Amino acid sequence: MTNKGEIVLDKVTRKFGALTAVNAVDQVIEGGSYCCMIGPSGCGKSTLLRMIAGHEVPSSGRILIGGRDVTHVRTGERGTALMFQNYALFPHLNLTDNVAFPLKIGGLSTAERRERAREMLGRVQLGHLADRMPSQLSGGQQQRVALARALITNPQVLLLDEPLSALDEFLRLRMRVELKRLQNDLGITFIHVTHTQPEAIALADKVIVMDHGIIEQAGHPKDIYDRPHSPYVARFMGGQNVVSGRLESVSGDLAAARGAEGGLFRVPLRAPAEPGADLRFAVRRDKIALEPGEKGGENSIAGRVSNVEYQGTFVKVELATAQKEEFVVTLSDRAFFARPFDFGDALVASWHPEDVCQLIGANNSAGDALAH
Amino acid sequence: MTRARAAQLLATPMAALLVAFAGAPLIMVVALSFWSFDGLEYHPDFTLANYVEVFSSSSTWMILLNTVKYALITWVLTLLIGFTVAYYLVFHVRKLAFQIGLFLLCTIPFWTSTVIRMISWVPFLGKEGLFNSALLATGAIDQPLEFLLFSDFAVILTYVNLFTLFMLAPIFNSMAKIDRNVIEAALDAGATHGQILRDVIIPLSRTGIALGSIFVLTLVMGDFFIVRVMSGGQSTSVVSAMKNNIDQLYYPQAAAMAVLLIGVVLLLVSLILRVVDVRSELAK
Amino acid sequence: METQRKGLAFWLLTAFFALFVLFLYGPMIAVFILSFQGPGGGMTFPMRGVSLHWFADLFSSTRYGDLGDAFWRSIALSLLVMLITVVVSFFAGLGFRRRFWGSGALFYLAIVSLVMPGILTGLGIGTIFQSLGLRTSWLVSGLGAHLSWTLPFGLLIMFAVLNRFNGSWEEAARDAGARPGQVLWMVTLPIVFPGLIAVALFGLTLSYDEYPRSLLTVGTRNTLPIHIANLTANVTTPALYAIGTLTTLLSLLVIALSFGAISLATRKRK
Repeated sequence: MTNKGEIVLDKVTRKFGALTAVNAVDQVIEGGSYCCMIGPSGCGKSTLLRMIAGHEVPSSGRILIGGRDVTHVRTGERGTALMFQNYALFPHLNLTDNVAFPLKIGGLSTAERRERAREMLGRVQLGHLADRMPSQLSGGQQQRVALARALITNPQVLLLDEPLSALDEFLRLRMRVELKRLQNDLGITFIHVTHTQPEAIALADKVIVMDHGIIEQAGHPKDIYDRPHSPYVARFMGGQNVVSGRLESVSGDLAAARGAEGGLFRVPLRAPAEPGADLRFAVRRDKIALEPGEKGGENSIAGRVSNVEYQGTFVKVELATAQKEEFVVTLSDRAFFARPFDFGDALVASWHPEDVCQLIGANNSAGDALAH
Repeated sequence: MTRARAAQLLATPMAALLVAFAGAPLIMVVALSFWSFDGLEYHPDFTLANYVEVFSSSSTWMILLNTVKYALITWVLTLLIGFTVAYYLVFHVRKLAFQIGLFLLCTIPFWTSTVIRMISWVPFLGKEGLFNSALLATGAIDQPLEFLLFSDFAVILTYVNLFTLFMLAPIFNSMAKIDRNVIEAALDAGATHGQILRDVIIPLSRTGIALGSIFVLTLVMGDFFIVRVMSGGQSTSVVSAMKNNIDQLYYPQAAAMAVLLIGVVLLLVSLILRVVDVRSELAK
Repeated sequence: METQRKGLAFWLLTAFFALFVLFLYGPMIAVFILSFQGPGGGMTFPMRGVSLHWFADLFSSTRYGDLGDAFWRSIALSLLVMLITVVVSFFAGLGFRRRFWGSGALFYLAIVSLVMPGILTGLGIGTIFQSLGLRTSWLVSGLGAHLSWTLPFGLLIMFAVLNRFNGSWEEAARDAGARPGQVLWMVTLPIVFPGLIAVALFGLTLSYDEYPRSLLTVGTRNTLPIHIANLTANVTTPALYAIGTLTTLLSLLVIALSFGAISLATRKRK
């Protein structure tokens, strides 16, 4: 049986009174993969994680880990280990005893468990601090201790609840590398909850995008990034502009849609659509050309520069257009500084139909929990 | 077992003990106040005679007023002193270790018997006591001050000495929880220290002030020993009068006074609790 | 807050604090000094010589009743009260972390118990026992009366302690496989331990010094406060102060020993 560490979610639901936090979620997560769950606050990702960990019990549905139904199994006996967002290191124990704690529960002798704990601390480069107390450590160090404590029981699945949120930018990027390397070395399933999109696509073999208790889209980061399912996913994952128009005609699998200001967009269809319907599609921000002008041809949009943001290797140019939402173009720094634009400039943004992705999901929310 | 059920179970021992040794006795006393007394014994009955006796006696009201007077004066004094000391400890003492150490320093006298601490004021305040001797020696006065002992002054002095800690501790606890950032933000916004005291520190310490007030008021109103000794027998309190009744085995009459007293006390306490919702504050 | 301002406010307040401490300790110090009063001296100053006369008098004279008996009874009772208060308050505090049916009523019952004048509680308990035909005794009715005073304090302290307690520690323990009993023993208890010490200390001292509640409930054998209070009516010698000094020293000793025992026990656990 090689489904060790494989997680099967079968119509998993969690209700809190009238509120449904997780709504009949179905998903299979491969054993040994790195899976990131992403979404805004309140989307249900943490609740789902805690149900996999066993700290919450589903209202209905089943959870299988490694082929075994663990829906009603106590946490601590399912082969999972949770790394808490606030680390939850025991303040009254030193690092060695903190890391050795799960082994103590497991009945190991004091000497043996302390030795294993010290070895594990060494692996996360904290061996020299083994006798310190958690309060004497920095945030990044505490996190590594929490990691060590989670891994010492050789779990099949490691669950991480926003592990990098409390770290500063520099440390966050470094720890990201550490986590990936660690997962590679250990070969166990990692499930990592985050609300930071670059983090998710950097680490994951599979990204699960959630909104309001359901999985909007799940798949390889490249799928999610290039071919978002719905406007919500497109907006949330970033890197895409969502453009809308009214469908006028279809020929073969190419649709023609009329935009708000009258321009025509050609959109390759991947799901059928009727003339007269609202069509939404995504255009990648880095696949758009910018030219000064007032009006363009097909597959273009006109607007005025409302913001310019320098980001080192690229520059973000934001246009105010007839589209009701923001329209952003990213140009390489070389391209921008060859011909820089300024606030208020009238530009035409244009693209190729093959760089367009029809958005078939209905979820049109802004990806901001507050917006609802 | 659901979490709520488990919680209930955990609280059951306390519930049982409190019902048995506080709830039941209270009901007993209320019931007792309606019993009759025939000069020798008391019998289970339902009569309002005791209440009539208590309410119609003018001395009852005088005593009650006297007790309330003591309680309010003591309350004001302990509040001022306790608040100031707490303020000093929390905001002017640098290290936490010192704060706790100095606080513990204030609690050590508690480990001496209250009775002994009370009577030890006598050698201090008496006509031939230390205080008078010192004043006479420096020539500040030429006759020993008589009012220092066996007077209202002595009673209140003793109350303040014994009960200020009960005001200090809760206020200290509340103040220590105040987030320093809030005070810095107020300073940033241009507030003076007086304004910060009035608009930030006092409101945020209100749970402690409420608790301390409840402690002090009920301790004073429930006292019978201190008032009797320190006033030289001249003054009395409600509970002292109650104790007289008890000594003579006039239990129903004592119970009626007790019900009156606890009625007043509960009124005061519920007034305080209305201003500060202690339970939800404590749960934060 | 007052970063560089060791200014006037600081010194004024420090002076105030010093006066306050003096005020608190004054009586104690007077008692201490006067207990060494010379044989010819009275209960007030001036000191006529310094001697251990009155201490000796305590042990030799029969005027003072059975002090030792009352003392040990008070110690035993207060230790018992302390133990029960700690255990019951600990569990009740844990229970109160969640709203359960009756939690409001129990809280207010605790407040009522706190504000009921001691003698009222004593009267009630004494009368109940009498009506049931039971005899009051320090071990049952006296114990109960003391508990009605210490338990509310214990509960309030536990509230304060558990507020700062982070539930994720217990979750982390469960995640590591600990069962509820193990979580309690290995995580919750050690972390709230300082708070329990506070409860213990309160319970011990409140009970040891308790007078009104004991009056009608301890039965025929007196506790120390009652004994001393009785003595104040009859005794007019500095022997009374000697009693005060002795009992203070002894109670400090008891507390020091308790602390010593506790720190020994915790050191062994590590």
